[in-house]
Amino acid sequence: MRRRDFMKDLAVGSIILRCGPSLLAQGTPAPDLAMITGESPAAITKEALAALGGMKRFIAKGDKVMIKPNIGWDRTPELAATTNPEIVKTLVELSFEAGAKEVTVMDNTINQAQRCYARSGIAEAAKAAGAKVPFVNDYRLKKMTLKGEWLKEWEVFTDFVETDKLINVPIAKHHSLSRLSIGMKNWLGAIGGARNQLHQKIDEAMVDLAAFFKPQLTVLDAYRILTRNGPQGGRISDIKLQKTVVASIDPVAVETAAAGFFELRPEELPCLGIAEKRGLGQTNLEKLTVEKRTV
Amino acid sequence: MKKERSRKYRAIQSVRIVSQAGFFGLFLYLLFKTHFTGKDYIGPVETFFHFDPLLAIATAIASRVLFASFALAAITIVLTLVLGRYVCGWVCPLGTVHQFFSFVFKKSKLLKPRKEEKSAGRLAWKYYILVIVLVASLFAVDLVGIADPLSFLYRSFAAAVVPWFARAGGALIGLFYKAGLSSAGDAAAQFLGTLSLNQTFQQGFFLGLLFLGAVVLNMSKERFWCRYLCPAGALLGLFSRWNVVKVRVDMDKCIKCNLCTLHCQTQANPYPNEGWRSSECVYCYTCAAICPTKAVYFPVKKNPEKIASVNLSRRRLIFTSALALVAAPFFKLTPAGKRAAARLIRPPGALPEPQFLQKCVKCSECMKACPTNALQPALDEAGPEGIWTPVLKPRIGYCEYYCSLCSQVCPTGAIRELTIEEKIKVKIGSAWVNKDRCIPYTLGRPCIVCEEHCPTSPKAIKFVLVEAKLPDGTVATQKAPVIDLDLCIGCGICETKCPVMDDPAIYCTSVGEDRSEKNRLLLETIQPAVMTGEPEDPYR
Repeated sequence: MRRRDFMKDLAVGSIILRCGPSLLAQGTPAPDLAMITGESPAAITKEALAALGGMKRFIAKGDKVMIKPNIGWDRTPELAATTNPEIVKTLVELSFEAGAKEVTVMDNTINQAQRCYARSGIAEAAKAAGAKVPFVNDYRLKKMTLKGEWLKEWEVFTDFVETDKLINVPIAKHHSLSRLSIGMKNWLGAIGGARNQLHQKIDEAMVDLAAFFKPQLTVLDAYRILTRNGPQGGRISDIKLQKTVVASIDPVAVETAAAGFFELRPEELPCLGIAEKRGLGQTNLEKLTVEKRTV
Repeated sequence: MKKERSRKYRAIQSVRIVSQAGFFGLFLYLLFKTHFTGKDYIGPVETFFHFDPLLAIATAIASRVLFASFALAAITIVLTLVLGRYVCGWVCPLGTVHQFFSFVFKKSKLLKPRKEEKSAGRLAWKYYILVIVLVASLFAVDLVGIADPLSFLYRSFAAAVVPWFARAGGALIGLFYKAGLSSAGDAAAQFLGTLSLNQTFQQGFFLGLLFLGAVVLNMSKERFWCRYLCPAGALLGLFSRWNVVKVRVDMDKCIKCNLCTLHCQTQANPYPNEGWRSSECVYCYTCAAICPTKAVYFPVKKNPEKIASVNLSRRRLIFTSALALVAAPFFKLTPAGKRAAARLIRPPGALPEPQFLQKCVKCSECMKACPTNALQPALDEAGPEGIWTPVLKPRIGYCEYYCSLCSQVCPTGAIRELTIEEKIKVKIGSAWVNKDRCIPYTLGRPCIVCEEHCPTSPKAIKFVLVEAKLPDGTVATQKAPVIDLDLCIGCGICETKCPVMDDPAIYCTSVGEDRSEKNRLLLETIQPAVMTGEPEDPYR
């Protein structure tokens, strides 16, 4: 399938899905994937969750919620190396509204943690919404059996495992080795150990980690996307304004949708094929109900 | 005669102890504040160094430049000229450390003050050390940082005591978790995390031993360092010959018990009157507080009857001056002056090497501020005069792109203060690929971790497709790193993060550093001829 065809299908499909089911029946199941575009990161995040049936669908009263954004680099939000703080903040608020008892936001950063937490704006934004924003703590690192095809075991921060609900909030970025750094790559921030050795089989590693962590929800920040010099960019000219949030329970579908922003076909991202084969999700968006709109 | 200690002087003694504790607390506060606290600019955490007249004078002589911030040292000098060495007894944090341990050793009977003080000759040592430091400065050899009390204390704390504290704290946190107190462990770990303490120092053990040694010397004599070694104390001693606050013993009340002289912290000899050494007294008020008959008092007088002073032998003074004079050129024998050392990567903003060595006082402020623990005290990298000067070790840490803290906290301007905008343009070295060890080049497997971490935009590390011949004769094609030296700033993150753990496949050397004309690599003038038009964007 050519990219243009794919985009066309996506558009047609989403229009049908937008109007079709709601006309046919009331109380239809929520769409599999929501792709919302708009000026305000907070508003499109809220809208995406609303489209999926509301945060209550994912979070029960009294849940401990872990939100995993990308805070990897000492960069401002404008440079699109780290997740948009407003999107993180909105998710924290929605989690509390849905009845969460405790919301934690954290990441194992690459640059100095204190700097990344501050310059990304995420620590301040998430704290303002009432979340805990701790640094990763090596004493909470535990060697775990991942049961992956390549990664059999690895050191994992138990915070990401000992939680009731896990929400992955990556940002869409260029990456020279895996081509894109989206949600599955984001799990490298939930582990410790010699992460730099995972580059030797990066696609397999990403899929193994995604299969291990299995988030309840993936919310992709594609408000600003990093189109080159990834994964940390550095210049405003490296970014493109996409003003979109993609949310789904299917992490593979989210990445497939994100590939379109970079004019890549799903086949061009090896990790998607591997993930689909492992049963993590769907790379054919035509098989899913997609809700796409602008607010 | 009725035996009663003076209430007034005991109160003054208490005030002095509070003052010492306060200034030591201030020192600790500023020490622990010297790290990234959420803002790019840290504020004047290093100002206390500017009150040190020894650093001011020696650095000015050695570098032949007056550094405006050191004007504050005039306050210390005037205070000492008028009142005496109050700064040593009431303010100096290293003096407080020594006095505290002297007190502990006295109470535990490890230090027993002796009646016969035969060691008065040793008091002159510090003056000879001062002479050596100042004469060496004349020859542009800056030795002051080795012996200056503030440099010594800060260096010891930054490279040994604080790392010890962090490690001990870490071990304690480990115990919390083992004992099942995970919430206490979490809280303590988060607290340590916010302090961002550097824990790895190549000379941490050695510098720790030196500090321990200085403390242990107090078992031999009370405030050993202050009495015999401190060149800053010697300098203030020279200034305090004409001060107006005196120590006197009222001979009508005196019972000649000799307690005052026995317990004098710095061997200033309050009894007998004509033996009191104005230049040695640090005004701790111990003599007046301990006197059982209130005989010791502190009169304010302009002209003394007679000043006792440390017996500085003219012959020795000439000898030490000559020693320093002869020794100074020996410090320059190192090849460091002839040719830049590959692994001598200086922090961004560091002056050209000769000027840097003349100004750096080896205080380790920069090493405390460094967010990645990259700055390390040099051993032999920079020659003998460069011992304990900061050198960036990319295998330990890298230069954080948006950080200029080291340049902000340098008390002498050896590292020029930089804004973040200025700092990101400074080149401190260049990266090189060791293709023999690089995973894609040699093993034919994917990696380019270095490219991912390169902080410049466009990246200074790009990739090309290379073919690697594998042991079975097949050929593997992989993306492999190449360096664009026009863009590389030498930050070293590529070397830090290189997954070839022992001997990295990509490494940084000092060549091409902005601060040096000798250590130049690419002549800028060549560039326009080579670069015609826009270079192709490798990321499309």
